[in-house]
Amino acid sequence: MSKAAKKTLEEAIQSGNPELDLQDKQIMSLEELPGLLSLENITRLTLTHNRLTMVPPAIANLVNLEILNLFNNIIEELPTSISSLNKLRILNVGMNRLDALPRGFGSFPVLEVLDITYNNISEGDSLPGNFFMLESLRALYMGDNDFEVLSPEIRNFKNLQILCLRDNDLVTLPREVGELTRLRELHLQGNRLEVLPPEIGHLDLLGNRSCLRLDGNPWVPMIEDQLLLGPSHVMDMLRNESYKFVYQRHITTGSKPPPKNYDAKNRKISRKRDNA
Amino acid sequence: MPGLHSMSLGSMTCTRCGESFEPQEKIVNSNGQLWHTQCFVCAQCFRAFPDDIFYEFEGRKYCEHDFQVLFAPCCGKCNEFIIGRVIKAMNSNWHPKCFTCELCCKELADLGFIRNAGRALCHECNARVKAESQGKYMCHKCHSTIDGQPLRWRGDTFHPYHFNCASCGNELTADAREVKSRPGYTANDMNELYCLRCHDKMGIPICGACRRPIEERVVTALGKHWHVEHFVCAKCEKPFMGNRHYERKGLAYCETHYHELFGNLCFVCNAVIYGDVVMALNKAWCIHHFACALCDTKMTQKTKFFEFDQKPICKKCYERFPQELKKRLKKQHEVQARGGKPLP
Repeated sequence: MSKAAKKTLEEAIQSGNPELDLQDKQIMSLEELPGLLSLENITRLTLTHNRLTMVPPAIANLVNLEILNLFNNIIEELPTSISSLNKLRILNVGMNRLDALPRGFGSFPVLEVLDITYNNISEGDSLPGNFFMLESLRALYMGDNDFEVLSPEIRNFKNLQILCLRDNDLVTLPREVGELTRLRELHLQGNRLEVLPPEIGHLDLLGNRSCLRLDGNPWVPMIEDQLLLGPSHVMDMLRNESYKFVYQRHITTGSKPPPKNYDAKNRKISRKRDNA
Repeated sequence: MPGLHSMSLGSMTCTRCGESFEPQEKIVNSNGQLWHTQCFVCAQCFRAFPDDIFYEFEGRKYCEHDFQVLFAPCCGKCNEFIIGRVIKAMNSNWHPKCFTCELCCKELADLGFIRNAGRALCHECNARVKAESQGKYMCHKCHSTIDGQPLRWRGDTFHPYHFNCASCGNELTADAREVKSRPGYTANDMNELYCLRCHDKMGIPICGACRRPIEERVVTALGKHWHVEHFVCAKCEKPFMGNRHYERKGLAYCETHYHELFGNLCFVCNAVIYGDVVMALNKAWCIHHFACALCDTKMTQKTKFFEFDQKPICKKCYERFPQELKKRLKKQHEVQARGGKPLP
C-alpha cells in the first residue's frame, strides 16, 4: 500500500491529465488503487520501478491507452486481454520475469514499439502463434532474453526499423531478416552467431541514422577479421561471392553451435523466483 | 418641256454657277434642279457624265470612274471595285463571288465561314482540317499541319524548315532556340532564331526544367539555372518563387514536403517534427516527447542520459539496473570504444 501512489492517482482523477505517472511508488498490485482501471481517458500509464507481480485483465478497460510502461516490475504473466488495447502504440514490459507472451498477443492493431528486454522469453512456446502479425511494429527490443533461433516469419514485420537481439542465445539468424528493407538498427552483440546471412549485406545499416552491432559473437574468421576493421567492412564482405560460398558451406555442414553461457544468464534478476 | 416654257426664263438659275440661262440654251433638269449643260459635270473631273450615268454622294455628282476611285470598296481577291453587295470579312471587302473557302472554293457569303490559321474556310473544310490536325500544330507560314515538333517563334508555331539560323545560316530543326532580347535591345525587340549549336555558344543560361533559354530572372540552384516559375518542389510541383527550398539527392522540395518525405519522425509519436528537434542515438524526438525510455521522465537536450540499446535512459534508471547488467553493458561499451576489438 502506497500513500504516495494514491495521492498521485487522486490528483490525476481531479486534473483530468491524460498522462498518469506512477513510477517508483512501491505498488504491489493495481487493486491497491481503486479507480485506476476505470480511468478511460488516460493515454499514458507509467508503472516503472514498482513491485507488481501481475497485471489484471481489467487493464483492457483503459481503452484510450497509447503508452503502457511496466519496466522493472516482477510480472510473471500478462493477461490475454492486454492485446485488446486498440490504441496502444508503445508497450514496455522490460525487466520483468516473463517466460512467455500471452495467447493472442499479436492482435494489437497499432502497436509500434514493443520492448520485452530482460525477461526469460524464447522461441517456440514462449511466443503465441499470432505474434508475427504485429505488422505495425517499427521497433522490437528483445535484448537479454533466451532466443536461440528467430522465426523466418520475422519477414512479416515489414515496417520494422529497429531489431534488438542483444545478449540472447542465437545460433543462427534467418535469411528473412534481409527482407526487412526499412531496418536501420540491428543489435546482435552477445549471441552465439558464427555466420550472417549474405542478404543482410543489402540492408541500409551503415547510414548516419543506422546502427549495426556485432560484437561478442564467435564469428567465423572471415567475419571476425572484417569486424576488426569496422562494420562497413563486414557489410561489404557479405555481398561478395566468396562469402556466399563460405556461408552456404557453413549452414549445410551443420557444425555444433558454441555452448551457452549459463553462468551469465543465471545471474539475471529475471531468473530469481523468490524475492529474498 | 412645256413646264419650263411657262416659267419666266429670267427667274431660273443654274444649280452650280448661279447664272441665268440664254433663251435658246439647252437646260439640264435633274430631279427639279436646273443646270447649264457645261455645268452638269462630274464634281471630280469636270467632264460630262459618260452615257449620262452619274453617282451622287453627299450632294455631289460623280462619274462612275471617279465615284469608284473615291468611294467604292476594292475586292480583296480580284482588286476590282465592288458595285452592289459588299462582303466585309477577314479585315477586307469582297465581291460575294470572290469570298470563297480557301480550300474548296465554295462561296461563303451566305454559308458563313470560320477563321482557321488566318484563312477563311467553310464549315466542312474547317472540320476536316481540324480533325486532320488533331493534336498537331499549324504552321503559321504555310498554314498546313506540322508533323513532328514545331518551331516556336514570336508566339506562333512554324515548320522549322522555313527558317535558317541567324548565325550560321543552316536550315533549322525543332530544337532551334529563339532569342528574344539581346544586350542593348529591349525584350521582344529583336527575336532571332539560332540552331542549338550556335545558341549554346552564346552563353545564355538554359532552364534545367524546360531546356529553353532564360531571358528574364535566373534562379541558380542544384548546380543548374532555372526560370523562376520552373524551379518547383519535386513533390507538389509548385514554384518556390523565392521561398526557401530544401535540397536532397539532387532534388528540391518545399518545406512541407521535405519534412513529409525526409523530415525527422519523432520516435515516440512517429509524426513529422515541425518545430525544434532533439537528435540523439540516431533518432529524433519532438521537444516535449524526449523522455527516458524506461520511466517516461521528461528530459531536455541538456539532461545527461545513458545509452541502452540505442535508447536514452535517465541516470536514475541506469543506477537501478542490476549489477550484472551494468557490468555487461560496461564491458560492451569498452569493446565498442576499442573499435570492436575484445579485451586482451
